[in-house]
Amino acid sequence: MGSSMEEKVVAVIMVGGPTKGTRFRPLSLNIPKPLFPIAGQPMVHHPISACKRIPNLAQIYLVGFYEEREFALYVSAISNELKVPVRYLREDKPHGSAGGLYHFRNLIMEDSPSHIFLLNCDVCCSFPLPEMLEAHRGYGGIGTLLVIKGSPESASQFGELVADPVTNELLHYTEKPETFVSDRINCGVYVFTPEIFNAIGDVSTQRKDRATLKRVSSFEALQPATRIPTDFVRLDQDILSPLAGKKQLYTYETMDFWEQIKSPGMSLRCSGLYLSQFRLTSPQLLASGDGTSIAIVIGDVYIHPSAKVHPTAKIGPNVSISANARVGPGVRLMSCIILDDVEIMENAVVTNAIVGWKSSIGRWSRVQAEGVYNTKLGVTILGDSVSVEDEVVVTSSIVLPNKTLNVSVQDEIIL
Amino acid sequence: MKALILVGGFGTRLRPLTLSFPKPLVDFANKPMILHQIEALKAVGVDEVVLAINYQPEVMLNFLKDFETKLEIKITCSQETEPLGTAGPLALARDKLVDGSGEPFFVLNSDVISEYPLKEMLEFHKTHGGEASIMVTKVDEPSKYGVVVMEESTGKVEKFVEKPKLYVGNKINAGIYLLNPSVLDKIELRPTSIEKETFPKIAAAQGLYAMVLPGFWMDIGQPRDYITGLRLYLDSLRKKSPAKLTSGPHIVGNVLVDETAKIGEGCLIGPDVAIGPGCIVESGVRLSRCTVMRGVRIKKHACISSSIIGWHSTVGQWARIENMTILGEDVHVSDEIYSNGGVVLPHKEIKTNILKPEIVM
Repeated sequence: MGSSMEEKVVAVIMVGGPTKGTRFRPLSLNIPKPLFPIAGQPMVHHPISACKRIPNLAQIYLVGFYEEREFALYVSAISNELKVPVRYLREDKPHGSAGGLYHFRNLIMEDSPSHIFLLNCDVCCSFPLPEMLEAHRGYGGIGTLLVIKGSPESASQFGELVADPVTNELLHYTEKPETFVSDRINCGVYVFTPEIFNAIGDVSTQRKDRATLKRVSSFEALQPATRIPTDFVRLDQDILSPLAGKKQLYTYETMDFWEQIKSPGMSLRCSGLYLSQFRLTSPQLLASGDGTSIAIVIGDVYIHPSAKVHPTAKIGPNVSISANARVGPGVRLMSCIILDDVEIMENAVVTNAIVGWKSSIGRWSRVQAEGVYNTKLGVTILGDSVSVEDEVVVTSSIVLPNKTLNVSVQDEIIL
Repeated sequence: MKALILVGGFGTRLRPLTLSFPKPLVDFANKPMILHQIEALKAVGVDEVVLAINYQPEVMLNFLKDFETKLEIKITCSQETEPLGTAGPLALARDKLVDGSGEPFFVLNSDVISEYPLKEMLEFHKTHGGEASIMVTKVDEPSKYGVVVMEESTGKVEKFVEKPKLYVGNKINAGIYLLNPSVLDKIELRPTSIEKETFPKIAAAQGLYAMVLPGFWMDIGQPRDYITGLRLYLDSLRKKSPAKLTSGPHIVGNVLVDETAKIGEGCLIGPDVAIGPGCIVESGVRLSRCTVMRGVRIKKHACISSSIIGWHSTVGQWARIENMTILGEDVHVSDEIYSNGGVVLPHKEIKTNILKPEIVM
């Protein structure tokens, strides 16, 4: 192939932490968001398996604030399954999106990688990582960002940018601008050369120097009291914005899908996106059936091998059924995620909903919503062990774990 | 003597507080709810308390070890693997409750707060000689509950009527029982209701007597009743141990302040306020009818009424919190914010006003 033994690649996936992700409640009340199942696999599994396609991948690091024990089981299982070393590193305090990478630079550089990928766990896309790496090598900069053309309305956490249409150089970068800057959005997937650590280190040092200056200008004295600690480095404001236009950073555009999984409703949408991607990349993972000995399956559906689905049920499109779930006779499931050990009884209907672990859905009951993914009650969410009794209708509502619904509810949050 | 406290389930009505701690460990008047009951039991001579639980035993057990040492009383857990109702747990804990001495044992419901006149109950039980005694309390709206129909002079119970449509009496089951060990022979190890199955059997055999609970009674399993319960509790404290309440120029009515809490200048605190350990109330703060839990900081000029502020939260300067606002653990309300009945889950920041009651996840 021609790539030398020294051209190792390391991938770092930022997974966040418990106090930051409150937008993902109630699903995140009992499970860390990165482990929530999307299209039948934990959320973080999708970027991890994408990393597996990178040639000469030496190591994957997951970096976050969760307790080590929350990831211990998953990390050892996935390392075995994919035959790639995956390790969870816990940040003791916030260092910012770039500071976190810098904090663990010694570990990351242990294998002397020539390139380092940085991904965000809650990004849903096709992760064209080998192609990005190839393009990056061609550009010769210290970093390449994955970008996508988006609508001006789509509020991106990762910022809007302007790229040179010929050289693909990153010319200008703004985080969450108030006025329209450009329709190119930063996807939150990056590849860097080890020089990025110098760039981050410089920001740290500059901050330290400024902090020790005794004479403070009257303007600076008016700045808000909370000064940023010297080792807190944000990728957007501190690295991408200043380095734009200096022939250091480049862009690679993806024409496939891209979404951020910020709210529970979005996890349903992204589950659908990944399921339709499976149709192209791994169709054997999807279910099929015509109602004779197996249930009727429409569109993209994932059914875990241990789940039991009655042949008279009709499933799909966009349905994901997890381990040991039981779907009874005459059940209709559309656009939903059914988690482990759920029991759905005869003739129930579930649409635009996420049904939490061990919940039970009664006979002829209906769990539904309008399917507007980014509004608070656009997708009905049932937490763990929620029991919906026979014939009850649950519409556009969120139900916290361990509740029993024996009357119909609509547009409600039930604690 | 032994006792069983029915702790039961998930405490979902007391969310968001019970998202951080199991219900028995949620503080009431600056003490974990269950400690009020354990102390009352210890005072009447109980040497072992069994907690009937079906949720989070690990979290409970750690705290219980603490109480065991401090109070010199034995505390054990009896864990239901399936919900056993209100009588089943007694059968499950049978071996712990029967020690061969023939002494009766207490059964308490963990959601109830009252003066716990357990000594009087013991005397009442010995006097009538029946198999079981229950405390009843007078309520204004008996149809909301199960009414206990009894002979007024002796207290002998005739029957239980669930949510009666016509008036049959105004005494309801207060959730405090004193039972002879023979009662356990009448309870099977399966989901059973003590009111619907066990007590009617004993009443039919003329063995069940009811005593009217002197003093206050409240089921504090939900926020509104928790706040009312605090008023009743502090009222009672004023009569029995007024030294425990705080007084001073900045105090109005009944106020309980932990000795490790700090209150600034120019505040007006009360009536019916409880301020927990390690709290810091800065100057110019107005607090009324509220509970401030451990480690909370209330910043200057804030005004809080009819609300519960969860552990380690902060309330910003000039903030106004009222009308059944419940802040979970570690909630931070920014300066100048207004909350009208916001119910906020743990680990949130409130940076915008909550104009009408809503749940903030």
